[in-house]
Amino acid sequence: MKYLVLGFLGAVLLKCWLDQRLNLLLHSNFHSLVLIAGLVLLMIAIAGFCSAKVSNKATKIWPLIVLSLTAMGLWIWPPKPSLSTLAANRSGAQLGQSELSFLSPPEQRSLTDWVRLLNSQPDPILYGGDPVQVSGFVLDVPGKPPEIARLLVRCCLADATPVGLAVRWPKTKSSNGWPKPDQWLQIKGVMAVENHQGSLRSVLVAKQIKAIAAPTRPLEP
Amino acid sequence: MAQIATVWAVFQGLLLEALPFLLIGVAISSLARAFDPSGHWLQKLPKGALLGPLSGALLGFALPACECGNVPVARRLLAVGAPLGTAFGFLFAAPVLNPVVLLSTWAAFPDKPWLLLLRPAGSVVIALVLSGLLQLISESKLLNSELLAERRLSQPLAAVSLLERSTGLIGQPLAALTTDLKSSVQNKPAGLLSHGVNEFLELGSLLVLGCAVAALIQTLIPRDLFLALGQAPTLSVVSLMLLALVVSVCSSVDAFLALGFADQVTPGALLAFLLLGPVIDLKSVSLLGRVFTWRAMGLVLTGVSLTVLLMGQALNLLLL
Repeated sequence: MKYLVLGFLGAVLLKCWLDQRLNLLLHSNFHSLVLIAGLVLLMIAIAGFCSAKVSNKATKIWPLIVLSLTAMGLWIWPPKPSLSTLAANRSGAQLGQSELSFLSPPEQRSLTDWVRLLNSQPDPILYGGDPVQVSGFVLDVPGKPPEIARLLVRCCLADATPVGLAVRWPKTKSSNGWPKPDQWLQIKGVMAVENHQGSLRSVLVAKQIKAIAAPTRPLEP
Repeated sequence: MAQIATVWAVFQGLLLEALPFLLIGVAISSLARAFDPSGHWLQKLPKGALLGPLSGALLGFALPACECGNVPVARRLLAVGAPLGTAFGFLFAAPVLNPVVLLSTWAAFPDKPWLLLLRPAGSVVIALVLSGLLQLISESKLLNSELLAERRLSQPLAAVSLLERSTGLIGQPLAALTTDLKSSVQNKPAGLLSHGVNEFLELGSLLVLGCAVAALIQTLIPRDLFLALGQAPTLSVVSLMLLALVVSVCSSVDAFLALGFADQVTPGALLAFLLLGPVIDLKSVSLLGRVFTWRAMGLVLTGVSLTVLLMGQALNLLLL
């Protein structure tokens, strides 16, 4: 029985690696570790089954139940987190200047590049009128217009921290014209300067908004 | 509903990241069982209040793993009768005193050389304090009952009676018993495999519970709550210690996580975050339950909290 549970757990780890869910859960450094662990568990399970001299040393039942249920859960329910809910619980990442190693032209900068740039050289006047094309998910900000954001991950989803850009959304007739949280968007527009709580800040003026599918790798290192 | 889905995803992230490290730890533990079943060599590791924990801490350079992988190895050390101080030194300091963690700390904070120095030094202090503190109570009140029974079998009869062992043959010399044990393991790789699998399943199921609690608390309690007190000298240290308990990330990457809020908190709080997490957090507390009794766990939590708080406070006094 225990080799069955172990083999199942190994198969689940392999499935997690194959179905790309690791892109949503872990930093890429850990993906190969999950694959290797899955393979090793499967090999141990097979060795256990094949060995004629398997010692059936008493195994407690509760670990088998807990791990079987967990493995079944992992197999049946893939993760579908609300990135906006996750991000709402965490303050934005402070990206230091040291992380800004290369500055690409404005229209080629990703959302994270923009946030890094704005953190390292925060004078908004420098970027007024720059063309912007970024993609990210809609992050709900209580009492304010939603931002366009990405999640940075160093280890796993547990340490994910959001980085976001303030957006001036196009005016719509409906009072509820802002996009829904968690929706993935590609926004084309220009960077502008606005007065925010008595100081100047950069804001992305959205000209073209296109709904896109969530990227294969939604987390950024 | 969105929160449940998020808890589930965070749980998966924590578990999938930790399981390979647990497997590595159990593999090392099983290899130790295979090559030194009677613990002959491990029992010869240095003893003493200072040398024991120090040598245990330095074992981290030979076996670089995070806290999840360290628990099974420390259990094996204790089970084969290695000196308590050595095993505790390894358990509490090796998650920091290893090349992977030191390199990641340096990579995350190249502009804070004091952190690269104080993090390993602080870990050694914690190992010394906890080791000294835990050895104040008797082994029977210190170690988990199953681990204690296994340890008793490996200890010489001069140190432990047959009654305490609950087994043994009167008149049979210890050498004969250990030789029997050794040959039984060497001749039965299937037995070794079975034992390793049992250990992985037990620790794995406890890891599942730890990850579930950590995911639940992480998603429901705003992280800003911990960072709100960032600039208060004492409260910042306490709040970052609480954050380390809750976040439960692997010690090899926690420096990168700390980088995200390093500018918002005091230096002492930053150090406290990097020192406490590798010793104990919500994810690993259930694993430690396989090593210690609940009373000893309370002592570990109290001892490490006070030591880290004092070190964080002292650093704030020096640098602020």
